[in-house]
Amino acid sequence: MDVPPISPLLFYRDAKAALDFLERAFGFETRLLVDDGQGGVIHSECAFEGHVVMVCGPPSGQWASPLDLGGKRTGSVHVQVQGGIDALCEQARAAGATIEREPADQPYGDRVFTCLDPEGHSWSFGQTLQIMSADEMTKATGHVVHAKP
Amino acid sequence: MAAKTGFQPSVIYQDPKAAIRWLEAAFGFELAIYIEDDAGGFVHCQMRYGGALISVGQEWDEPFKSPLKLGGKNTQLTSINIASDVDAHCALARAAGAVIIAEPETQFYGDRSYRCRDPEGHYWSVSQTVEEVTREAAEERAPGLKITGWV
Repeated sequence: MDVPPISPLLFYRDAKAALDFLERAFGFETRLLVDDGQGGVIHSECAFEGHVVMVCGPPSGQWASPLDLGGKRTGSVHVQVQGGIDALCEQARAAGATIEREPADQPYGDRVFTCLDPEGHSWSFGQTLQIMSADEMTKATGHVVHAKP
Repeated sequence: MAAKTGFQPSVIYQDPKAAIRWLEAAFGFELAIYIEDDAGGFVHCQMRYGGALISVGQEWDEPFKSPLKLGGKNTQLTSINIASDVDAHCALARAAGAVIIAEPETQFYGDRSYRCRDPEGHYWSVSQTVEEVTREAAEERAPGLKITGWV
């Protein structure tokens, strides 16, 4: 199996329920599951367009679900999609995602929505509508944008 | 503009500018996009590695915290897959100040990997595939595990 250069790994109290949610809500596909024999998941790969997110749990030690931290989290995951972002948001909502920001065009050329999954991990999805240069982004956002090609 | 693709983890820091310098030194990440406000304050940053991107973020909203604020707890980690020489990668990270949690070791599933903690307590796992292992061989080496989907 091809492994992309960077993949996020998220910790869940109920990793199998999380994988089921990611498939229903976002259309990901679980392509590898390593069960610890006691209902836990020590490794998995959930794939989307050739990339993977890994889901493990229940967590212990320094690892935690946002459920264990009052909803706090040390990161999030952004997913860039080729198309169909509004339909994807509806699919996620129907599967039980909490939509935090509805799909909206952003000044940097993407259409984006953000949501929380059932354990409180934060996801954002973006679809590029217009490819913009650093100068164009600077003008559009009011921030100073430096970009390396 | 940087190519945007796939899963892009965002990693939250109290001091994102220091984190950018550290990620360059320790892992060889390169700055792709850096956005600041008129006063030079940090707004957003993306770093590139091997065609993939990560976002370096700050504590911009209440639920987003550096592990420094959560007693060292992490809700996610970032896995880096490299083509060669994981031991040299580990040496570079150690020299940059990474705390090595697990030294480079060849795992039952055929990857040689190490795990480390960065200065704000985020965890990173770095792996290189060194051996193609079949599902049957992996299950034999790690009794008790049930593996589905290994092709």
